[in-house]
Amino acid sequence: MKRFLYALLVVTLCMLTTSPLTVQAAEPVKLVMWWWGEQEAPGAQKWLDETIQLYQEKHPNVTIEEVLQSTDSLIPSFQSAMAAQEGPDIQYFWGGVWTLEFAWGGGVAPIDDLIPADELAHYINNFERTFDGKIWGVPWYLSGNPFVYNPSLFEKAGLDPKKPLETWDALIDACGKLRAINVIPISGGLKDGWFGGWLYSILGRQPHDSEKDIMAAVIGKTKFTDPKHVEWWKRLAELRDAGCWNEDINSLDYQQGMDRFVQGQAAMIFGNDTFLKGWADTMGSWDNIGVMLVPKYADGKMASQYIVTAQGLGITSWSKHKQEAADFLMFMHTQDRLNAWFQYTGVLPADDRLDVSLIEQPQLKQIYEWATTIPGPNLENFIPSMMDEQANFAGTQLLFAGEKTPEELAQMTQDVIDKWASQNPEALENFTKWAQ
Amino acid sequence: MTVALLFVFGYPVVRLIMMSFQRTSKGQEVFVGLTNYMALFQDEVFIRAVRNNLTLVLNVPIMVAAALLLAIFLFERIRGWKIYQTTLFLPYLLPIVVVGLIFSYIFQLSGVLNEALIAIGLPQLALDWLGSPKLALWTIMFVIIWKEVGLGVVLFLARLMSVEEELFDAARIDGASWWRIQWHITIPQLSTVIEFFTVISVITMLSWVFNYVYVMTAGGPGNSTMVTELYVYLQGFRYNQMNLAAAASVLILVITGILIFVQFRLRERAGEEETFA
Repeated sequence: MKRFLYALLVVTLCMLTTSPLTVQAAEPVKLVMWWWGEQEAPGAQKWLDETIQLYQEKHPNVTIEEVLQSTDSLIPSFQSAMAAQEGPDIQYFWGGVWTLEFAWGGGVAPIDDLIPADELAHYINNFERTFDGKIWGVPWYLSGNPFVYNPSLFEKAGLDPKKPLETWDALIDACGKLRAINVIPISGGLKDGWFGGWLYSILGRQPHDSEKDIMAAVIGKTKFTDPKHVEWWKRLAELRDAGCWNEDINSLDYQQGMDRFVQGQAAMIFGNDTFLKGWADTMGSWDNIGVMLVPKYADGKMASQYIVTAQGLGITSWSKHKQEAADFLMFMHTQDRLNAWFQYTGVLPADDRLDVSLIEQPQLKQIYEWATTIPGPNLENFIPSMMDEQANFAGTQLLFAGEKTPEELAQMTQDVIDKWASQNPEALENFTKWAQ
Repeated sequence: MTVALLFVFGYPVVRLIMMSFQRTSKGQEVFVGLTNYMALFQDEVFIRAVRNNLTLVLNVPIMVAAALLLAIFLFERIRGWKIYQTTLFLPYLLPIVVVGLIFSYIFQLSGVLNEALIAIGLPQLALDWLGSPKLALWTIMFVIIWKEVGLGVVLFLARLMSVEEELFDAARIDGASWWRIQWHITIPQLSTVIEFFTVISVITMLSWVFNYVYVMTAGGPGNSTMVTELYVYLQGFRYNQMNLAAAASVLILVITGILIFVQFRLRERAGEEETFA
């Protein structure tokens, strides 16, 4: 009996020290998270610090280190990490191709096996990260593109601030009225290029029904020189010729163009809804901000949609703690954290469990309604980055410099996509699979 | 020691060259021969970048001439020469990013320069210095000269100060004109330093201007200021085409290597001539 009890004790001790549960609880886990900071969502830093602290209190064996990346280093740093298969466990990603290119390159792990389906069902915009039947990241917060205006400047120009512009002609007419009172109708900055991509997504979508139409041209089924793809260049030239833009658009960065609006020198801006709270704070009141959909010039389904993408996070393929990383991402989506996110940043989380009663400003209520009832894709997320940079960024600059016609720019886009396809047969293959 | 040095300096270059002959396929690096180099020479943007780098080389004679003249004036101890010397060298000490940012503001269409031009009644000269594809590269060239010329001045002045004063005195006593003194004494005395500064400047224009371009124009408008370094950066880190980036880097390396080789040969020849003389 004594011998049996002794053996039982030994077995019990062995079980206690080797069972997976015990190991999991005791094993220290360090997660490293590279993220983009609060450029789009001021207040995000405070929220993340608090979220990490709360998570670590609940899971004392887990420590989470956050590493800030700038816009310019976000992708290069991860490229290097991917090449070395060493770096963060959790990485910030923009949606669509900005996530999937890294998934195709073997840098990102699918999350389907790490996060239960009923949890995933609450996340908004999963479609952007879906490829080959798997989801390659977790949406974090929404970033949409409203057409923002200054109601008081509208009023001064004889425009009705309560009646948003709906048609293209109304927009051209508004430009004339605003110019007449020496106000820049729409401000922007193209020097750093990024805004050219926005313009493509905002204006290029209108003749098309879905992102698949764009991807069809990317994979060579249609051409970027087809009339529907040329149209947006023509409309942009029309806005330029109608004096809608600040004349120095080519020598300003996007941020500087944005400042023109915030300083009350410009009446409208193709903005980002994540900026609205910050703009309202700087401009003194939410009353100085109105939001509308982009006036329509075409009848494609996407013309009536609100552009919205989910900025997100992915788990790296080399992470040794994938499940722990997924658990933390799920913690970010608990209702307390979702509500806190909105309260700290004024930005909508990419989750349908937000307590919508927290949204007080009519502008944000309107945006939430658009984002949940008429969401449409951000086209920049469905084209190769080379096309964005060498056709959209460069093309818009050339258009405003008066160097190329819309037809020439459409041809330039086609040339870039042909070059991309010849240089990237494997990416073309992935795009073709994705486009289906 | 030699092995360590070879590893530290040789391995990255060998790896780079290997990458330039490969492409990633299904996660594996596959040998593709000259495909990446062919792709580069078929890429209008790359050709443009090379052309722009070569255009920037036009800066070199301007920089050498300007540095030479300024060094000579300072050497002649014009009143306040020490202040001028410091002022001229100061831009060289400033970080390129800071210089780029400052000049970005100055050269905006609604920037300080154009406001001044309008204020003095010259609105026709108030141009879109950085926003026009026809002007942007020349604007950047001006900024590069402004910043880099200071190094030339200091190098030339340092050499001039070590030249025996008697040489100049003797020429003056013999009635040599100012120009003759510069032509027959100053420039020959400075020849090695001029050659050094020239080669360094050419290398700078071909492979050391990324920061200027990135900060001031990001290669735009419409790729009009694209340079090879920025092209490498974009290929590698924005378009995810590391192998093309490697091929472009190898080309830059080869061109720069040839220039360094030429400099060594020139110096050797100069050394031989001096020995025979």
